[in-house]
Amino acid sequence: MIMQDTSYIPIFPEQASTFAWQVDYLYFYLVGISVFFTVGIVAVIFFFAIKYRATEEFATPKEIHGSIPLELFWSFVPFVISMSVFFGGAIVYFNQYRIPKESMEVYVVGKQWMWKIQHQTGQREINDLHVPIGRKIKLTITSEDVVHDFFVPAFRTKVDAVPGRYTTLWFEATKPGKYHIFCAEYCGLNHSGMGGFVYAMEQRDFDNWLSGSVADQTPVQMGEDLFKNKLGCATCHAGGDNQRGAKLEGIFNKDVKLVGGQTIKADEAYIRDSILNPGGKVVEGFQPIMPTFKGQVSEEQIVALIAYVKSLSGEAGKSPSTSSAAKTKETNSTEVSKPNADKKEEVSK
Amino acid sequence: MANHEDKHDDHYHQPGLQHQFDDMSQQMDSGTLGMWVFLAQEIMFFGGLFTAYLVMRTRYPMAFAAGSNHLDAFLGGLNTLVLIVSSLTMALTVYFAQKGNRNMQIILIVLTMIFGTMFLGIKGVEYTSKYEHGTVPVDGWNKVIKEGQHKEETSLRLPFETIAHAAGGAEHIHANPRGDFRIEDKDIELIKIAEKGGFLTKSEKIGYYSDYSKREISREKIKGKIRIFFWLYFVMTGLHGLHMIVGLGIMLWLLYKAWQSTYSAEYYSPVEVAGLYWHFVDIVWIFLFPLLYLLGRHFLAGGGHG
Amino acid sequence: MENSDAMQIAKEAPEVNYLNTDWSIKSWLLTKDHKRIAIMYLISISFFFLIGGLYAATIRLELLTPASDLLESGTYNKVFTQHGIIMVFLFLIPSIPAVLGNFLIPLMIGAKDLAFPRINLLSLYIYWVASLFVIFALLTGGVDTGWTFYAPYSTTFSNSYVMAVGLGIFINGFSGILTGLNFIVTIHTMRAPGMTWFRMPLFVWAHYATSLVMILGTPVVAITVLLVAIERFTQTGIFDPAIGGDPILFQHLFWFYSHPAVYIMILPGMGIISELISAFSRKKIFGYEFIAFSSLAIAVFGFLVWGHHMFVSGQSIYAGLVFSFLTMVVAIPSAIKVFNWTATLYQGSISYDTPMLYGLGFIGLFLIGGLTGLFLGSVGLTVHLTETYFIVAHFHYVMVGGQLVAFLGGIHYWWAVMTGKKYSEFWGKISAMLVFIGFNLTFFPQFILGYQGMPRRYAAYPEEFQVLNIFSTLGASVLAIGLIMPVFYLLHSLFWGEKAKHNQWQLSGLEWRTQQPPPTFNFDETPVVTWEAYAFGEEADLEIEEAEKEQKVLPTG
Repeated sequence: MIMQDTSYIPIFPEQASTFAWQVDYLYFYLVGISVFFTVGIVAVIFFFAIKYRATEEFATPKEIHGSIPLELFWSFVPFVISMSVFFGGAIVYFNQYRIPKESMEVYVVGKQWMWKIQHQTGQREINDLHVPIGRKIKLTITSEDVVHDFFVPAFRTKVDAVPGRYTTLWFEATKPGKYHIFCAEYCGLNHSGMGGFVYAMEQRDFDNWLSGSVADQTPVQMGEDLFKNKLGCATCHAGGDNQRGAKLEGIFNKDVKLVGGQTIKADEAYIRDSILNPGGKVVEGFQPIMPTFKGQVSEEQIVALIAYVKSLSGEAGKSPSTSSAAKTKETNSTEVSKPNADKKEEVSK
Repeated sequence: MANHEDKHDDHYHQPGLQHQFDDMSQQMDSGTLGMWVFLAQEIMFFGGLFTAYLVMRTRYPMAFAAGSNHLDAFLGGLNTLVLIVSSLTMALTVYFAQKGNRNMQIILIVLTMIFGTMFLGIKGVEYTSKYEHGTVPVDGWNKVIKEGQHKEETSLRLPFETIAHAAGGAEHIHANPRGDFRIEDKDIELIKIAEKGGFLTKSEKIGYYSDYSKREISREKIKGKIRIFFWLYFVMTGLHGLHMIVGLGIMLWLLYKAWQSTYSAEYYSPVEVAGLYWHFVDIVWIFLFPLLYLLGRHFLAGGGHG
Repeated sequence: MENSDAMQIAKEAPEVNYLNTDWSIKSWLLTKDHKRIAIMYLISISFFFLIGGLYAATIRLELLTPASDLLESGTYNKVFTQHGIIMVFLFLIPSIPAVLGNFLIPLMIGAKDLAFPRINLLSLYIYWVASLFVIFALLTGGVDTGWTFYAPYSTTFSNSYVMAVGLGIFINGFSGILTGLNFIVTIHTMRAPGMTWFRMPLFVWAHYATSLVMILGTPVVAITVLLVAIERFTQTGIFDPAIGGDPILFQHLFWFYSHPAVYIMILPGMGIISELISAFSRKKIFGYEFIAFSSLAIAVFGFLVWGHHMFVSGQSIYAGLVFSFLTMVVAIPSAIKVFNWTATLYQGSISYDTPMLYGLGFIGLFLIGGLTGLFLGSVGLTVHLTETYFIVAHFHYVMVGGQLVAFLGGIHYWWAVMTGKKYSEFWGKISAMLVFIGFNLTFFPQFILGYQGMPRRYAAYPEEFQVLNIFSTLGASVLAIGLIMPVFYLLHSLFWGEKAKHNQWQLSGLEWRTQQPPPTFNFDETPVVTWEAYAFGEEADLEIEEAEKEQKVLPTG
């Protein structure tokens, strides 16, 4: 997870993405070609310069005008070599710029002089990008003002952030680490300061990060954080009457009348249902305007939200273990997930 | 080594032969080639502008049509005619220079200059009209018309203005307290016609709607696109006008030389070279006129519905 | 002959040449003589090279440390911008064409002057006026957009003197256009009898190709910079998306010129190298026609590859592939030249005079510069490398290691023709070697820095990049010394130097056959050419025996 040592001179950055090695191979191939031709031609020049050095002033040496076969040879061979370079480059380029369909989406907005990053699940970051390894990540990028460029040397990819249009970038991080993000298109005063880090993490650590769990945060605390800050539930369910959303204080395990006449108990399953499929069971007197959070919340987060809603009814402690998030995840599978096991969204993998 | 000035006096000095040339034909070849090379670079110069026009118009054709409908096609057409005739008089100037006919040269140069000046004059009328109608694309650069003032007639009413109105160039003068760039309702109408007819391009939909999903046309956004049209109009015709002024300067110099009977069958290449320049300026206008003035005219005539 | 007799000959009345024919300022400022115009250009561009070099020194000093401690980043931004603008527009583009091209083309083809001497003078005046705009902007606060002045930063966000500098560049463009126009017409119509196209020196071919690029490409950047200035002034236009414009349109228009521009900044240098290699191997250039046509090919193909500056701009993948392919194609003519120059050495008679050192140095440095161009043309690789120090290293190799080295070689080679004087060979060789060593030490580490990911135009950088930056600055110090030295020994030769021997290397080019320095109208009589280009010995009517005799008789040293 640490930066490269500064005690020696590194020649290239870490290879931290699935196509980084391809770029490096192409680089070595070209270095090889360059060394071959440079050393070769310089050696020939040295050789000729010494072997044919002037022994008399004003000599009139042999008349050699040219040689068409030689010209054709050294036009054709470089052409073939440059075509191989072209093809190699094209293949790698396709890999870099053709976005795989099943990518996790992240939105990036560059502005003078910071990167504003937002995950689909709602988390926002400034200048930092947390991603899980082994997962295809697609960045959709734009700019608010001038042209910037989002560059991660360790991943060997970059793309401009252009105001007025969207550009895209993808990568799959291969190992956990902290990798530089640089702005690579001159954008004014603080161009050199417009950077940050990609934090590539194991999936589990990433889930932790995503769910905002700080170690020792109880599910109720996590749920409250999600409710009020990260997911915006409080916008409609702020508490009290005359809200867009149904009042949640004191409803746990109470009977709720739904639109259509049905009455249902507001238990864990109902709360979970309301988060994932809110249009299905709308409380009477309210509009069916709640958006679904399917795909935006992990199982762990649903558990935390349920715990928090419960806590609004004074029923703290009914949720599973309150110590670590990991333990919560385990017990989660025994309690709430059973009826909805098949509906379980693949948010984590 | 001997004094080199002497050697050169040995040659018979033809009129106008410059010292670096061996003979008149070399000088004439050089001058003509030089002017062609210069015109090649002028094409590249205007070419950049035409490229910008191409890109913007391909993206927002209806906004360009709306903007173009504001332009007075009658005056533009008149200018085209004026320039074509001036090219005729210019070509005749070259002919008479070759013939050594001093009087005809002078008459024709003067005529060419008159036509050139007419061109600039009409352009001046057009630019003034833009100023008055609020279509100069820079806020604050249009005529300030306070509320209630706009019912007055403009003081100048040229006879061909009525013809111009008939040709569809008529415009309303609205209040414009800050001299802003403004568009008219008829411009939005035009966009709506295109929308109903189903031929807005995708870029246009992104560019004109304030909310893509709701298909709400945004007057502000359309104004921005029409403003681009007018910006290109002024830059392109302005640059062309500058070239015209330079052309008039060249004509003046030609007039001076012709007055002094400088040109004859032996030496007339400056006239020919000046002619090349004049024809080039003419040709640029031939391209500008339809691209700027004649867009979307069929809408004005009542066409283009679905 | 006795020593004293020899001295007698040397003390004869000095001949009238283009320099001493009239010493008044007016005769210089109103001259129509292409040679005087060339000298005035030489003084001007040297001045700007010094200013650009001071900016370069400042950059390298700042980059010694990771933090932005020598300069604030706002100041640093102005420094690198101005370094770029001055070096590209006020030094590199005019350098060889306006100095050596102006001076030598009429001589080489046997003409009395260029086709349009007054337009030549006008070029110079325009250059001076443009420079004044740039100097004004520098003195009143500078410009910070980068020499590439991308929109919308340049049109809307920068608070510096963009319009003043933009107008300066606009005006400067016409200086180049008129020079190019002059060269094309001159080469077409003013060749002496017997001087066919394929007898012309390759220096002339190179300038013909360069002139094509100058007249067709420069107007596009002229209109682009004009549009930026208008957009900035009126706050409305076609580049800033906030008002409906398109920043990518700017990039296309800008690079359509600026790519061919880099060929303006290498083709003349290649022309010089052909002359140097041939002269100092005493052999005809191997593959003359191939070198001539490759110059034209580079000029033409150079107009088709501008998109390779925009691979990461968001342009479509397919556009990227097309530009990458064409970029590979445009590399081939340059490769052909390098092979031909090397083959010229085969069975030659090679001497190591200062100009030859520059010539051979050029081949090595251009090789590296050109090959790294392949790295950058290969799309997959360039996605990683673009906008990093790899690019900076690449273009300095071709522009400094290429054009500047060739320029220095040419100045030394034709010094005798231009001034009639001889400079110190010893110091010439020393500075050539210092330039070569210093240059490599400065810029080679930057390739590595680039691959590591250090972006360009950074005032402050992460610590791990410091060691290589220190090497680079060290190299720059050596390079600076190597570049300053010629100023001293060349000026010294002007005032206190020995008179150079006439046609000291016994070459067949027309510029060597006439008086050194030439008279105002170049030749006593219009030459008639009967020999092929780069002929040696009798074929070219060279009087080698007499030259050898003269050698042995006059005291050496």
